[in-house]
Amino acid sequence: MTIKSTIIVIEDEKTIGEFIETTLKAHDYKVFTAASGQEGLSLITSGLPDLILLDLGLPDIDGIEIIKQVRSWSMLPIIVISARTQEQEKVLALDSGADDYITKPFGTPELLARIRTALRHFHRLGQSAPASPEPLYFSDGLKIDFTRRLVTLNDSEIHLTQIEYKLVSLLAQNSGRVLTYDYIIHHIWGPYADNNNNQILRVNMAHIRRKLEANPGEPHYIFTEIGVGYRMKENQQQEALN
Amino acid sequence: MILKSRCFSDILDKPPKRGPMSKKTLCLNILFTVLILAAATVLAYLFFYLGKNTTSVAIIYILAVVFISRYTDGYVPGIISSFVGVICVNYIFTYPFMKFNFTIDGYPVTFVGMIIIASLISTMTSHLKLQSRIINEREKLLMEAEKETMRANLLRAISHDLRTPLTGIIGASSAYLENQENLSEKAKTACVKNIYEDSNWLLNMVENLLTITRIQTSNMAIHKTSELLEEVVAEAVQRLRKRLPDANIQIHIPEDFILIPMDATLIEQVLINLMENAYYHGNPHEPIILHVFPEDDQVCFEVLDFGKGIPEDKLPVIFDGSPSTPNASGDSRKGMGIGLTICRTIILAHKGKIYAENHEHGAKLSFCLPLREEKEHDD
Repeated sequence: MTIKSTIIVIEDEKTIGEFIETTLKAHDYKVFTAASGQEGLSLITSGLPDLILLDLGLPDIDGIEIIKQVRSWSMLPIIVISARTQEQEKVLALDSGADDYITKPFGTPELLARIRTALRHFHRLGQSAPASPEPLYFSDGLKIDFTRRLVTLNDSEIHLTQIEYKLVSLLAQNSGRVLTYDYIIHHIWGPYADNNNNQILRVNMAHIRRKLEANPGEPHYIFTEIGVGYRMKENQQQEALN
Repeated sequence: MILKSRCFSDILDKPPKRGPMSKKTLCLNILFTVLILAAATVLAYLFFYLGKNTTSVAIIYILAVVFISRYTDGYVPGIISSFVGVICVNYIFTYPFMKFNFTIDGYPVTFVGMIIIASLISTMTSHLKLQSRIINEREKLLMEAEKETMRANLLRAISHDLRTPLTGIIGASSAYLENQENLSEKAKTACVKNIYEDSNWLLNMVENLLTITRIQTSNMAIHKTSELLEEVVAEAVQRLRKRLPDANIQIHIPEDFILIPMDATLIEQVLINLMENAYYHGNPHEPIILHVFPEDDQVCFEVLDFGKGIPEDKLPVIFDGSPSTPNASGDSRKGMGIGLTICRTIILAHKGKIYAENHEHGAKLSFCLPLREEKEHDD
């Protein structure tokens, strides 16, 4: 990486803000910290960041509101920092346009991984052709060839149904990011699908898990974030390219 | 004991007389009394007109008095209606008709008898009603007291469990700050590592306590959704691995697609607590086994470790949250006092069952969740 990415951290807890800033600076990011929503919004317009880390519980503006405002003019990646046990809030943030979330308390590696993933997806979107998909997903023996629609696990082919393949490839294209139930249902079954019933999605995911994972109780590739959605393991092909 | 005796005295100090009844109940009482008396009069008139029978007239009025004292508050309506009844009988249904006359031979005895019977029945009915209300209130107070004791126990256990890691954190950090020059790099790392571990422990504790707030304390109600068994297990194990990377956990879950009604966050917390308990008390060289299997109309989760097992005398009280007796090894903070109590609270709120027992080579903690929602419990 030659150009430093600029990250704006909007966090009202001073100690947490400082800890994030120290960590990110140590990993060669340029960091600006804002302690309130107002300050954050003006920093976003003036500072031209590459990514925003946003705490949802701000004293002045609701975090969701900030996401909506930023989304009205930019596709800038936003990672939400939230407390556990608030699935509703997470889902609302993601469906309002946030790219990902990280649960407090988080470790440095987790934070950096989320930032890398979000930046990479953003850069890919920014590239010339509309939605230029990765040609290949590879991670620990699981390989997906998107052009040939071929899924192999340790070099033996895995037979997936049409829907199952669509699901796996959607998750793989967004590997490392969490996709909400609504997002997935919308993309696979279309806009008129019944969003309130994610049973069909979970049944399909259970089938996929039985085909891909050695032990469905200990998944290796596709992780469930209960109440929120699914996240597929980072594409190692891309890691290597970075 | 003190609480108990206070409850009883509360009830005894507050005999039947309570504040003036509200206007609404007063109106209702009057309305009810008048209606019943009117109905009784009409009925009595019918009997009287058809059968010329004065005895049944008196019976009908006494019946009316019983009804009135059963369904109104206090003694007053019953007694008033017994007087009204006697007056009506005398005025309408006995000779001379439509005139008062209590002096005819035999009348005084009849009417006095009638008024005594009616008043007695009315007071007895009201008294019975009052007693049943007192019993109800007493039960409620006792339940409150029990809840209060539970809360006090929990608070005690929490403070105990919080103090130990906090002492560690404060000690390690002040050692670091005060002796920066003298400490070797290795010692410094050790200090920070201790702080890290203790604060992680604290965090888990707080998360445990937070999960409890999801259960509504008044009626133990929780918000259940259908969750896929494997997803819940997977997320719980994943979260535990994040904190205890060297935990060796073996997972055996059924192949079938099993949906269980539950609050996933709470059940995950139970699984994490049980596995963490096994991690600290089991043999570090042996795995922890998480075994899930369906049984009749429930699903059972077993966590087995291969350690010393649970002392026989602690088995019955392990979920009670009594502060663990300081054991010889000295790491009483890993006693999981609150953790297991919280597990029980969560499982009970799910209408499930939780067990602690020993198997041949260690301890076995297990719980079962019902597969079907039981509607009849939602009273």
